[in-house]
Amino acid sequence: MHEIQLHEHEKRIIKFLEKNPKSSYETIQKETKLNKDSVERAVLWLKLKGLVEINEKSKDFYVLTLEGEEYLKTGLPEKSLLKTIQSGINSIDELKSKVSYFSIGLVWAKKNEWVEIVDGKIQITNKGKEALFKKTKDEITLNDVSKSKRELDKESIDVLVKRGLVKVKQDVKRDVNLTEKGKQLAKNIKLTKEISQITPEIIKKGEWKKAVVRAYDVNLPVPKIHPAKRHYMMQIIEYIRKIWIELGFKEMTGPMVDISFWNFDALFQPQDHPARDLADTFYMKQPEFGKLPNSEIVQAVKSAHENGWTCNSTGWQYKWDEKIARKCVLRTHTTILSARTLAKLRDDIAKDALPAKYFSVGRVFRNETLDWKHLAEFYQTDGIVVGEDVNFRHFLFYLKRFFAKLGFEKARFRPAYFPYTELSTEIEVWHPEHKSWIELGGAGIFRPEVVKPLLGKDIPVLAWGPGFDRIVMLNYKIKDIRELYWNDLKQLREAKLWLK
Amino acid sequence: MPTIKVNAKEFCRFVGKNMSIEEIAERIPMLGVAWEGHSNDEFEVEVFPNRPDMLSVEGLARSFSSFLGLKKGLKKYVAEQSEYMITVDQSLSSIRPIIVSCVIKGLDFSNELIKSLMQMQEKLMLTHGRKRKKVAIGLHDLDKINFPLVYTTTKGNQKFIPLEFDKEMSIKEILESHPKGKEYSNILEGVEDYPVIVDAVDRIISFPPIINSEHTKINETTKNIFVDITAMDVKAAMEVLNIIATNFADRGGKIFKVKIKYPETLVYTPDLSTKEINLDLKYANKMLGLSLSAEQATEFLKRMGYDAIEIRKDVLKVQIPCYRTDIMHEFDIVEDIAIAYGYENFDAEIPEISTIGGEDQLEAFSTKIRSMLIGFGLQEVLTFILSNKNALFEKMNLEEQDIAETANSKTSEYNVVRNWLLPSMMDVLARNKHNDYPQNIFEVGDCVELVDNEIGAETVKKMCVVLCHSKASFSEIKSIVESFMRNVGLEEYKIEEADHNSFIPGRAARLVVKGRDLAIFGEINLSVLEKWGLEMPVAACEMNLNWLFEEMFK
Repeated sequence: MHEIQLHEHEKRIIKFLEKNPKSSYETIQKETKLNKDSVERAVLWLKLKGLVEINEKSKDFYVLTLEGEEYLKTGLPEKSLLKTIQSGINSIDELKSKVSYFSIGLVWAKKNEWVEIVDGKIQITNKGKEALFKKTKDEITLNDVSKSKRELDKESIDVLVKRGLVKVKQDVKRDVNLTEKGKQLAKNIKLTKEISQITPEIIKKGEWKKAVVRAYDVNLPVPKIHPAKRHYMMQIIEYIRKIWIELGFKEMTGPMVDISFWNFDALFQPQDHPARDLADTFYMKQPEFGKLPNSEIVQAVKSAHENGWTCNSTGWQYKWDEKIARKCVLRTHTTILSARTLAKLRDDIAKDALPAKYFSVGRVFRNETLDWKHLAEFYQTDGIVVGEDVNFRHFLFYLKRFFAKLGFEKARFRPAYFPYTELSTEIEVWHPEHKSWIELGGAGIFRPEVVKPLLGKDIPVLAWGPGFDRIVMLNYKIKDIRELYWNDLKQLREAKLWLK
Repeated sequence: MPTIKVNAKEFCRFVGKNMSIEEIAERIPMLGVAWEGHSNDEFEVEVFPNRPDMLSVEGLARSFSSFLGLKKGLKKYVAEQSEYMITVDQSLSSIRPIIVSCVIKGLDFSNELIKSLMQMQEKLMLTHGRKRKKVAIGLHDLDKINFPLVYTTTKGNQKFIPLEFDKEMSIKEILESHPKGKEYSNILEGVEDYPVIVDAVDRIISFPPIINSEHTKINETTKNIFVDITAMDVKAAMEVLNIIATNFADRGGKIFKVKIKYPETLVYTPDLSTKEINLDLKYANKMLGLSLSAEQATEFLKRMGYDAIEIRKDVLKVQIPCYRTDIMHEFDIVEDIAIAYGYENFDAEIPEISTIGGEDQLEAFSTKIRSMLIGFGLQEVLTFILSNKNALFEKMNLEEQDIAETANSKTSEYNVVRNWLLPSMMDVLARNKHNDYPQNIFEVGDCVELVDNEIGAETVKKMCVVLCHSKASFSEIKSIVESFMRNVGLEEYKIEEADHNSFIPGRAARLVVKGRDLAIFGEINLSVLEKWGLEMPVAACEMNLNWLFEEMFK
């Protein structure tokens, strides 16, 4: 007899059958700890190799139908009918409305001779009275079927089947047994011990050397887990900070609540400018007014507004009011930080502080009613480049490079208007998936009326302050801008990493 | 920002070239006008506030035509002398002191034109006129007016028939019940004598800045019109007058001056003379990164409606059209050269400057803290800085205290600036009751505290860790706090029992460093959980990172 190649699973099944002849698939599965597919596959191979035979035996068994299950809970209709009559109701009409399945109940009660109809009223017979106080054969059988009992009253079962309360099902049992060839072979098979869960004990004692580590089905599902991670918005903010730092920019930060002077006046926004409207700006009740900075800067800003100061400008030509400048606001743009930074640089100009580049990423506030398109607070990223020799083409370079790093190779610049810049542009980037231009915000070169009062010298300052909410929303397929701050943990846990 | 609707056919007629809507949409944004969309023959654009002269089909077409190179160079306008006169009464000096005016003759009115005029008038008053407060415009049928006029004041019971009405109303009634009266009555708040323009037969023709009279209304038979502009500010008034006068002139109207007799002076308006500014070509080229010759620069200036001549090497004398209101500095001229050159035609260039980048120290510290907190298995959340007193105090079992508060918030849900993070975290938990637990989260974020500095408030970075699951406890949060302190290397601290109503009594502690409470932590009070609708235990820690940073690095 030439050697028969056996798979580890096949060996285990043979060894099991040697001791447990005529075992079902389920038993084999349970005892050998192999999964269903493995057992079926192995038995099939063993049969082909002539080592086992499979006997199919079918056996009838009974189960309740839906109706049967309902009666099991509520009682048979003939019994319900009896009970209702017993409670004193005996007119057919009334019983019809009280007893569910009244007509079925009446048919069977009559058949069982439990009731008789006299003058349109239903009366209980003696047989019926007896039936009231005990479980009938049909009830007992119904219950037995529900509990899968094997010994069942034959007569009663036939009735229940006929009534459609019980149905017959066939149970096919497949037993596997070793053939003679199989039995012979079994004697020569030695099983190595099998390890399922590896324990420190097994490793320490070296038991594994004499055993086989059970193979797993690598396709079995496992529990879903999520790492704790950064909020996706914060991942993008970190990335944006990194881009600016790589490009040689220093970070600027500053207060959320500040005086109008820095938010508006220092940026040459006239005091009756529509952007300063109550409708757009959060003014503070507490603190209501702050103090203005050193008077040299304030005087210069005031003159720039009123008559252009020494900037060769006409200025806005109105009377500038110090009190309006002292009003506290929630900053409406991070450009406020650029203004503060220029004022700080003023003292360092002599000390080779220039050229200088600064950036910020920060929260800004607008007095909006929240809806799917608007938030009262959002992020902006500002940047300035201060240098004697910087120009509009350099400005385009920084912005194009920044947006390319964010994944937007195509950026375009439309002429726009801001009171504090010239060569003002609206930045738009091309979104290749959406096939549309996305407006991201403004940029330009600060006007001399902004730079000179703050810095003390008229030097070109490239400046920008785009937002990036739209980019985040498109990347994470968010339609409602409020979702960015909803912190739905399921969404946060499932959000993919920002991998730029 | 204001938008205007423009009939494309009429626009093309003024431009002097037939263009499809698509061609207009493609080119007009590069002039500095934002395309808003179109339907049938009408398109809508947003005009930026520096160019009120483009708030009408005439003005927009004028600029676009020269931008395309069709009608280049300075367009001169003249106003002829006339006998029309307005006398200004002394009483207006503190109410609405300025009036300027002109007369236009020989117009051909259609319904279309009246619609377009109304749009121009409304948009100019809204923007340049700051919702009529600064400047208001009245347009009248000249032939229904008896000159000379008086700009004077009257009492609230004075009556006349306002525009679109068929019966007399008093000034007071107009302010209380006429739609325009209600809309703009705030401008005249506290005023007892109301500005009116009265003609030679004592008829009120206008009640600025509210409403004109029905009598002088413009209709399709109107040929000649009278323009009155009242204002708080003479500069803005003259600017608006020039824009209106030149628009009518572009439609074939003839402009006439009006004599205005102020109590102390006599002026003739409009003044349509051009202004001049010298442009240093080197400065322009330096800012733009270009090397344009005087000829090239002149050509670009002509495309933006200017004229220019080289008065000496590299200096151009630029003539500014009388309808331009935005030229304050030669840089404004440089911007227009760039627009004519085309923003899309500039090549980006790397500047030859080297700088060293770097993070803000506190921000860098915060980033490190955040990555350590992730290591504790905490999910980062990001919440609003704006909040309300109910969330910050009532729902946290605390007495209300003074905090940074807005004066004019549109929603009561967001009318204060938070002074701590824990309420924001509780809100996150309350929104996530349907999601899987444990919910262990953190935020490092900004809060604002009232302090005695030059603003009266200070932005403070805080950190909040919140553990929410069936076994969240004091000892778990304490483990994190102590591990946190060991990892940042600050081990000289004391932990003292804390008395804080947001936490369960006896299960809250303060982390004290050199006498300052750097943090508070413990198990959240069950009544606080109840107020937020939470049914899971919560342990939390809130720490002041500004102070931690100071302790460690200063």
